[in-house]
Amino acid sequence: MLFSSITFLYYFLPLVILLYFILPFRYKNLLLLVSSLIFYAWGEPLYCMLMLLAILQSYFIGMRIEAAGGTIRAKRWLVLSVVLCLGILGFFKYYNFFVANVRELTHLPLPILAIALPMGISFYIFQIMSYTVDVYRGTAKAEKNLLYFMTYAVLFPQLVAGPIVRYTDISQQLHHRTHSLSQTYLGSRRFLTGLAKKVLFANSFGMLCSQFDLSKDRSVLFYWLYGVAYTLQIYYDFSGYSDMAIGLGRIFGFEFMENFNYPYISKSITEFWRRWHISLSSWFKDYVYIPLGGNRVPVPRQILNLLVVWMLTGLWHGAAWNFVLWGLFFALLLILEKFILLKRKWYGKGFFAHCYIMVAIIISFVLFRAESLGQAASDIGSMLGLAKLPVISVEAWYYMRSYGVILLMGALGATPIIRKGLHHIIGTKPGAQAAVVLEPVLLGGLLLLITGYLVDGSFNPFLYFRF
Amino acid sequence: METELASRKSKIGIILLTGILLSLSLLNCLQPDRELSDAERRKLKQFPAWSVGSFVKKGYSEEFEVYAMDQFPYRDVFRRMKAESLYGVFRAKDNNGIYLADGYAAKLNYPLNENSLKNAMDKFRYIYDTYLVDNKGRIYSCVVPDKGYYLAAQNGYPALDYDKLFNSVKEGMEYSQYIGITDCLKIEDYYRTDTHWNQIKLVPVAKRLAKEMGVAELLSGQYEEHSAAEPFYGVYYGQSALPLQKERIRYLTNQVINGGRVYNYETKKTTPVYEAGKLKSRDPYEMFLSGPVPLLTIENPQAGTDKELIIFRDSFASSLAPLLMEGYAKITLVDIRYISSSILGDYIEFDGQDVLFLYSTLLLNDSFSFK
Repeated sequence: MLFSSITFLYYFLPLVILLYFILPFRYKNLLLLVSSLIFYAWGEPLYCMLMLLAILQSYFIGMRIEAAGGTIRAKRWLVLSVVLCLGILGFFKYYNFFVANVRELTHLPLPILAIALPMGISFYIFQIMSYTVDVYRGTAKAEKNLLYFMTYAVLFPQLVAGPIVRYTDISQQLHHRTHSLSQTYLGSRRFLTGLAKKVLFANSFGMLCSQFDLSKDRSVLFYWLYGVAYTLQIYYDFSGYSDMAIGLGRIFGFEFMENFNYPYISKSITEFWRRWHISLSSWFKDYVYIPLGGNRVPVPRQILNLLVVWMLTGLWHGAAWNFVLWGLFFALLLILEKFILLKRKWYGKGFFAHCYIMVAIIISFVLFRAESLGQAASDIGSMLGLAKLPVISVEAWYYMRSYGVILLMGALGATPIIRKGLHHIIGTKPGAQAAVVLEPVLLGGLLLLITGYLVDGSFNPFLYFRF
Repeated sequence: METELASRKSKIGIILLTGILLSLSLLNCLQPDRELSDAERRKLKQFPAWSVGSFVKKGYSEEFEVYAMDQFPYRDVFRRMKAESLYGVFRAKDNNGIYLADGYAAKLNYPLNENSLKNAMDKFRYIYDTYLVDNKGRIYSCVVPDKGYYLAAQNGYPALDYDKLFNSVKEGMEYSQYIGITDCLKIEDYYRTDTHWNQIKLVPVAKRLAKEMGVAELLSGQYEEHSAAEPFYGVYYGQSALPLQKERIRYLTNQVINGGRVYNYETKKTTPVYEAGKLKSRDPYEMFLSGPVPLLTIENPQAGTDKELIIFRDSFASSLAPLLMEGYAKITLVDIRYISSSILGDYIEFDGQDVLFLYSTLLLNDSFSFK
């Protein structure tokens, strides 16, 4: 089920919220579990069983690991759980990619299977893997209560597109959490902000990308317009989803980690990855990079570790070579920064640094979205003026004017300027008094406006559902 | 003080948001389902029948979402909110591909779809080779410009390469005499909210066609103007979702039109040239020759000639054909979107009639519905 759907907003959510606040605390987790399973089954009825199997093995093995208490048996249980998790992920996400490449190299008649990618598989597999690893490390206690563990693993606000919530972050809240009017309101505000980011902005930028796909009147300007639109779409789409997840979590009494922190204001790639998909980069850091030796190994090994981590980060996003290249592209930039550029005083300063980072990010997302390496090369070549295309075309000019305002608003909204401005206004006495009524009224208007966009059946894909 | 304000804000916010969410949810569940959308001129999705099979295949959830969107309370109001925000706040130039310029709503018809144009030319060639090559009548072709011809480029919207389209038709239908009519029309000759042209403005077009087809002297040019009492909201009214002004269908009559009889091969019924009852239907433009019909004939009992005309056409011909009636004893109208061109010989005896291919740029640029 999509958050940005009438089914979710006007059927599922009101019913779940109503029941949640009526029921006593001891039934709240059960309600969240059942509603999360319905939420998932609504979109992925068959793969619901697969998800439950993955969760159950993690639950039982987690208890075995704890019982084995740091012995070699605990390690074996951990290895078994990780193999099972990666086996599920590998088969459903990477089997066909692997087989296609082996066939290409060896001409062996290996079968390509008609496997649909289960929704959110990369997110829930990473969540439960982090749980068993944490139990093995002793940083988390194994959850004995199956209901609570399943509630953690399938909690619908963050089930299919993150943030990747670690068990240690919400284990306390699963057992005891408080609810208040102000928490519920702040959660609703955050949810609506995310929904607006998704429905009003990400979908509009997505429409522009679709127009670009259909166009036969391309130009250098159109390629850049497309690059900018997609860069904004992926940010508004994914950060919008994270906002919705965090907001819903707050309504139900959970505090999820922040996943985005204005990544497009970064002045270095290192800073960008501290601000973009924070839950994923910290996951790779804690569960892959540091176990590989992190920064405490010789430089060549550090470089190798970085290449491995970023290749895996790329692969996590999709089973295709362009994702691998996308990860390696960032690995190269990060290695350059880590060992050379960040040591220079002039690096990462001023407007120029910001422009360079944005160009690198836009090009990276054009690579990310490409259907093939050939298309990626062609798109990036066209952006750089190597395809002998006109600088400007009729369509590019039209879409530039038609989407100009929303692109500008999108660019502005990707910086903290608006938030700071609002905080400044609300920080004054008259501002704070006016906000008492104005803010809820604006949020109500926003909900109605979003409903209008949803009712009109506009373009509505969630990019991160496929990861 | 600050905490008190925050607490009040939370209370107001929760009451307001819950109120909106719950009231719309309740209304959504309680209101009876509607079958049709007048504004969008289409059937609305009904509650999908549930089955294990449809649920497992994920089809059910998708169908349910379409149902939920279609049956949402105040759907038209919400769609209008979206359109107003797109135009007013985001300054978008179009909504769902519909744009407003000079007070007229039009559809972005861009770029030229050469595959579609070729498909149309191939289909017309097939008709020519199969039925017309030995027919003694003369063959004409005419392209009706859509509103974009008069609006798009002038207002900064991407416009079709109309010259290329017209030349392609001339070259692709070299067996026909091409009749240009773009200079007989201007944007004011079209409805503001609809794709179609306004019949009372079509006399110059009819005269041009009659002149080129050699029946000019038979056309009296004498008509009585009428305006339907029913409001007319064109197809772009619903698609743009904007509060455009209502219009009225306007039409011309004279003795010949009043005396004409239309035979519909599909319903096997004979009707007058104008079906007043259709003015109350979803698409009042269907009053002209009963709307989309695969095959029909207009008989003119008062004709001073035995000449006959066959028009291969789209909906633009429905309001134009009555104005050509005086020049012919019988006009046959064929819409190959609804009847296969391979079976036309079963219904029409091609026996020396003049033939006119009359198609709009909209259809030529999207011709894959031709059979």
